[in-house]
Amino acid sequence: MLAIKKKLLLLIILTGLIGSVGCRTLLAPEYDKAIVETISTVSEKTMSLFAKVSEGTSNLNFSEREEEYNNLIGAYDALKIKAKARPIPKNTATKKINELLGTRGNALSGDYPSAFAFEKIANTLRKMKEKDRSSVIKPTAIAAFKGQVEIFLDQALTYESFLKR
Amino acid sequence: MNDNVLEIINDIKEVATNILQKDISTVRGFSERQVEAIAKQTIIIQKGVLNGDIDEDLKEFFLDGLEAMALNFVNTLKGILLVTVEKIWNAIVDRLLSVIDSIT
Repeated sequence: MLAIKKKLLLLIILTGLIGSVGCRTLLAPEYDKAIVETISTVSEKTMSLFAKVSEGTSNLNFSEREEEYNNLIGAYDALKIKAKARPIPKNTATKKINELLGTRGNALSGDYPSAFAFEKIANTLRKMKEKDRSSVIKPTAIAAFKGQVEIFLDQALTYESFLKR
Repeated sequence: MNDNVLEIINDIKEVATNILQKDISTVRGFSERQVEAIAKQTIIIQKGVLNGDIDEDLKEFFLDGLEAMALNFVNTLKGILLVTVEKIWNAIVDRLLSVIDSIT
């Protein structure tokens, strides 16, 4: 009899807990293997372009690089669209978690940091292409373009890989 | 307190601790890489402005870039944290449901 009472009490406690926490939830987009693989391929091509122009560029032979710029910009724009195309469902648990975090001033946004990074990489390459076409890009400026791309790439790749739960 | 309740509490603590330990090491590695890379980027921009390789137009562009990368560094950390919160939340719900299943 005592054992049944204990089980019943435990069941009541657990039902109460489940009732308050809700159900399983999804707070971030699903992992997409294709995105991670594409980042890897496109980043290799990007680093190859930077290796070719590390000594600087002259607009005299810009046409040799134009297609490469266009392909890379197109690839990063496509990655941005793919990254943002994953919906994050809103359910009771999501609402509850955000409420809990919000009360302490730490509400988490459902933004897509990888999509933001892809957009910034595409913009960086656009700027580099524009500069390459119109004048010269000197070695330190090339290093700064490369550094900017690498930092955003690390952000995108780290986030996308972390989505693999 | 009921022994079973204590057992469930300990289980939940263990599940949460295991997830946190694993995820924190990823966050630490990422943060260290980013802080170092952003610091190096700042030095490159400074050097480029001083030696004339970076003109006024590019200087503005790279400074805006620094601001955007710092902002997205924080947003990436927030995104990672959200995944960790999700993993812990779901692990707790799974544990509670499995206990209910075993009782009923």
